[in-house]
Amino acid sequence: MAERWDRARVLARAPDAPSQRAAQALASDRAWSLTGAAEPGALWGECRGSAATPYRTVVDLSGPAYRCSCPSRKFPCKHVLALLLLWTGGSVAAPAEPPDWAASWLTARAARASDTQPREPGEPKNPELAARRAEQREARVATGLAELDRWLCDQMRQGLAASQKSGYGHWDDIAARMVDAQAPGLAERLRSLASVPHSGAGWESRLLEEYALLRLLAVAYRRQAELPPPLRETIRSRIGFSLRQADVLADGQPVRDHWQVLARRDVDQDRIRIRRTWLRGRLTGRYVLVLSFAAAGQSLDDSLTVGTEADADLVFYPGAVPLRALVLTKHDAVDGAPPAGDTIAGLLTGYAAALAEDPWLDAWPAVLDATPARSPVPALADAAGDALPLHPGAGDCWPLFALSGGRPLTVAGEWTPRGLWPLTAWDEGGTVVAL
Amino acid sequence: MSTWQDLVTAGLIGTERTAVPPAAIPALPTLADAPEDPAAVLLDRAALLTVARRAGRPPEQAEPLPAAEPDPEPAVSPAAGRRLARMLAGEHPDLLTEWLTAAVTRGLRVPAQLLPTLLDRARRVSPADPELRRLAARAGGSRARWLAGLNPDWRFVTAHTVAGNEAWRLGEAGQRRGYLAALRATDPGAARELIAASWDAAGPERVMFLSVLTDNLSLADEPLLEAALDDRAEDVRGWAAYLLASLPGSALGQRMADCARRCLRLERHTQGPRLLVSPPAQPDAAMRRDGITRGPAPGRSQLENRAHILLEVVARTPLSTWTGDFQMTPTQIVAVPSGGWAPVLFAAWSRAAMAQPDSGWMAALIAEALTGRPPGTTAETAALRQLARRADPALGAPGALPDPEPGAPPALYDAIRVLRFRHDMLKELDHDHSAG
Repeated sequence: MAERWDRARVLARAPDAPSQRAAQALASDRAWSLTGAAEPGALWGECRGSAATPYRTVVDLSGPAYRCSCPSRKFPCKHVLALLLLWTGGSVAAPAEPPDWAASWLTARAARASDTQPREPGEPKNPELAARRAEQREARVATGLAELDRWLCDQMRQGLAASQKSGYGHWDDIAARMVDAQAPGLAERLRSLASVPHSGAGWESRLLEEYALLRLLAVAYRRQAELPPPLRETIRSRIGFSLRQADVLADGQPVRDHWQVLARRDVDQDRIRIRRTWLRGRLTGRYVLVLSFAAAGQSLDDSLTVGTEADADLVFYPGAVPLRALVLTKHDAVDGAPPAGDTIAGLLTGYAAALAEDPWLDAWPAVLDATPARSPVPALADAAGDALPLHPGAGDCWPLFALSGGRPLTVAGEWTPRGLWPLTAWDEGGTVVAL
Repeated sequence: MSTWQDLVTAGLIGTERTAVPPAAIPALPTLADAPEDPAAVLLDRAALLTVARRAGRPPEQAEPLPAAEPDPEPAVSPAAGRRLARMLAGEHPDLLTEWLTAAVTRGLRVPAQLLPTLLDRARRVSPADPELRRLAARAGGSRARWLAGLNPDWRFVTAHTVAGNEAWRLGEAGQRRGYLAALRATDPGAARELIAASWDAAGPERVMFLSVLTDNLSLADEPLLEAALDDRAEDVRGWAAYLLASLPGSALGQRMADCARRCLRLERHTQGPRLLVSPPAQPDAAMRRDGITRGPAPGRSQLENRAHILLEVVARTPLSTWTGDFQMTPTQIVAVPSGGWAPVLFAAWSRAAMAQPDSGWMAALIAEALTGRPPGTTAETAALRQLARRADPALGAPGALPDPEPGAPPALYDAIRVLRFRHDMLKELDHDHSAG
């Protein structure tokens, strides 16, 4: 049987908090008239619900993949989660033969898995057609960027003071034009600017920074032929050209290390949830950003648990500062020790060096040995007396203060131009706490 | 950096109305402006300065906080901490008091990172019910006091420690109750005398006085409580009757037992025993004094009135009355058929079992609901809900209770879930204790 998950791992799969609660309420063997498990990793059960016939729930742990006969649109539904919780608690009967309804789904899945494995996802079928499409896209993006450049210059001619009176539509219109121009990265960035004029003191400074960096991107795209290939990749990925995972894996050299899982942050972006997981290699010292995506209501990948250390092969996306990577093979995962913390001077030097390669970089991994302070603004201060403010969007950060009690601790998070976003802390005993 | 501010100012006004200021970075050659459009020049200079400012940002200064006193008490285990986090996130929040009480009695601390959420929860509860605040402050230890010094919202953590009779003479309601409760815990007699001496002058505070007496209740409190039965305020009379009913050997308990025996008789037939139930339709003056009113709804039927009186009388009757009179165990008694009165008796015995408190009766009632007649009325469901929260948590151990019949009502599954949750929760805390 597959390695047993713990409760936290099951609950992390829940699409939202109400699902977690509903699943815990259902995780009683009394609600289930039949449960069972089979090698190598299948679970099934029948759960009484509001319908006349019980709901039939099957889980394939290897995916993991789920199926339930209930009408819920949440995925996984509470029945799946409850069944997993029962299994976690040891309440699912020993290996047995699955009933027909479960067996048919499991066999179909296994067949499909072996079927699809060799085929490259998204492999172009007609190379000529693909090349023509790529050419068309480049032309569209070039036109779009020229339009963006004119729009940005218009903003500067009229002055930023006018944009504070504009509604969200002001940015949505130009963002929509960038969607048409097949530059989704720019569209997303422009949409996020709508909130800047209402983000408090210094908004005009922040808006000017963003406009300036957008024009820099437009100019850089125009002149990409003169730029070194890694920087070209950075520019293209920021505009919204995405690489196929298969190409990344084919072109990249796997890097094996013991990757410490430092921190994780989930952000909602246009009906998609993005999980940003930061890692650092114990041997190479390399920082890594692993992204995973989920549509609303679906659960995010949680195979990288904060505070653990994974022995894995990673393949990096190309770029001027290669941070983003794919997990190629995970060999092993162990509970990790707290990571070694840097000083604030060290963090700032590292960020400056990275900016020299990628001027658009606005989230940089931070691991600091520091003490939280509250005055003049919430901040982290290190032993040398240097301090950095916390990000205003991170809230009051009370759990971080409570954990520290005014004493130094190791904090991991994201350093951004607006401040440090604390995500993980290790207490005096070395226990990891997600903030 | 004045150059940057100049650029921002120009950006605000717009290049139609103002000139683009120069952007100079020390040690860097001046930027050659390629485009002639002033707006583009402004953006290019701003881009250069943006990246330069981000890369060259100097660290700031911050005022260090005083360090919290070290806490001699250990924190609860990671498993117990995770459960507390789940409870604070909404799973069985009503068991929070029990978790905290168990942690405090075992000398264990709440994990520091959970204190802000716990203190916020305690702050939101009504100040008239200070138990959660007191427990949160105790279980939070020195770290909670340190946090209270940083956030005025949590001042109640330190407010409770206002010592001496200053708090009693000059304090607000919460501090007065705190003082009295502390005195009651250490010297029950002194607290009673203080209450007796302050009774006449106290108006609305009398209810608070009586609530403090719940702790360390003894027969020495009976005269004070008997006098309170004649109080003008209804909630004072109600509290007094409730306390006397839960006091073993009280005269009120005896009066209730006499009354209950007239309502309830055991008949033994060849087919087995049966309970004959015949409660009166109206409470007499003596019953009314003991807190049994006709109830709030004047339009109720005879049958409803009789059920109400049966419930109130049996709920206040010492449970030893039944085991003694019938010479049967609680398990046998709750299984005796009583026709249509059974739901009323279940609710009444449940209230008695929780007030007196009697774990044997609570276990018998839960087992009866599981294996005998399942709860049907709202009152029974509510009683079972409370029993699951008050009964011995050992009932939640695997295999301690029989499984309910297939198709049993959800209230039974709920009760089992709550008992299991409590059992696991206390086991996690005990595990810590033995581990040191």
